[in-house]
Amino acid sequence: MIIAERKPLDEIKEMVKDYRKVLNVGCGGCTSICLAGGQKEVMILNRDLKEQLLGEGYSPVLDGFVIERQCNYDFFDELDNMVGGYDAVLSMACGVGVQFMAERYPETPVFPALNTVFCGADRNIGWFEENCRTCGECVLAETGGICPVTRCAKGLFNGPCGGTRLDGTCEVDKDTPCAWYEIYHRLQAQGRLGNILTVKPPRQWQNQTRRSLVQEDYKQRYAG
Amino acid sequence: MPDVEKNTVDTAAIATMLQSKDAEMKRILNYCVRCGICAESCFLYMAHKGDPQYMPSYKVINSLGILYKKKGNVDKSFFEGIKGLVWRNCVLCHRCYCPIGIDIPRMIDFTRSICRSQGVYPDHDGGESWL
Ligand code: SF4
Ligand code: SF4
Ligand code: SF4
Ligand code: SF4
Repeated sequence: MIIAERKPLDEIKEMVKDYRKVLNVGCGGCTSICLAGGQKEVMILNRDLKEQLLGEGYSPVLDGFVIERQCNYDFFDELDNMVGGYDAVLSMACGVGVQFMAERYPETPVFPALNTVFCGADRNIGWFEENCRTCGECVLAETGGICPVTRCAKGLFNGPCGGTRLDGTCEVDKDTPCAWYEIYHRLQAQGRLGNILTVKPPRQWQNQTRRSLVQEDYKQRYAG
Repeated sequence: MPDVEKNTVDTAAIATMLQSKDAEMKRILNYCVRCGICAESCFLYMAHKGDPQYMPSYKVINSLGILYKKKGNVDKSFFEGIKGLVWRNCVLCHRCYCPIGIDIPRMIDFTRSICRSQGVYPDHDGGESWL
């Protein structure tokens, strides 16, 4: 799931303060679940923002709405009838949703209320952990299910780097486990150390340019 | 979307929302011949071993269908009652197939929107279990 957190109120205020009518749109998907941009968070942000703006002499009209997903146009039709009535839109979705919104309403300024932080897992309610940087060439098969891109401070494919401390933490931060120390021990326990005994060649970093993906069975449908 | 949580609902606002898609939604609700073909195209229905509460048509008929039948004259407990049906029981994946072209997720999306307008939506930081 995509994990996001709300931007500081002052930053949001600076984006929207000069627009009189602002519609704050939450997302019913990931950002609802990670407690950053669902219906409750839309209400809280609107309340706080209104108070702040009123205190500074503005007279904003700040409304809220939530669509089930901002990354799929199938969910936009109710919003289509509303956006024209506002001077700006604030989106509480991830960066994907904000961009979809901005593309859908090119004449309306669309602002992000959140910082999109990572692709993560739910450890517990309100506690999320990054586990994948969507590198596009997954190596988990060889690394015992531990991602070296995300969990090694240097993103090494041939580790460890020599900076592993005796207690198994990384030289970069004493509270961070060394990913390669963990990879080594997991593979050793599974009798698979052979997986990391050959040197991996340098890889193509596919995430340097914008990616898109059409699944094999659909290639014909979208061709040309 | 209400600014504060209330225990009452605004039936006039619900009726207005229902009317905004009256022709389209009533037509598709009437078109459904209860054939059940959509059932097996829903992975949740299959995963729950054929529990009818996960059948695409069931979810819509027992939420939006009732809202139209009652012309929006329902109370807050009605929305609380259909919450599981339209959130937990459907992930809006758009994978269900209806041979006469009924767009089930579009109707569930609309039902969720009506729920939200009355302050009913999933509580992701509470004790609700969604699967
Ligand atoms: S717009 Fe972003 S936050 Fe919302 S459902 Fe899509 S990916 Fe998740
Ligand atoms: S190697 Fe790591 S970053 Fe790359 S796809 Fe696998 S889990 Fe994601
Ligand atoms: S100590 Fe381990 S985690 Fe830290 S940079 Fe080196 S290999 Fe990576
Ligand atoms: S959209 Fe809902 S009803 Fe249709 S297949 Fe997906 S989960 Fe099932």
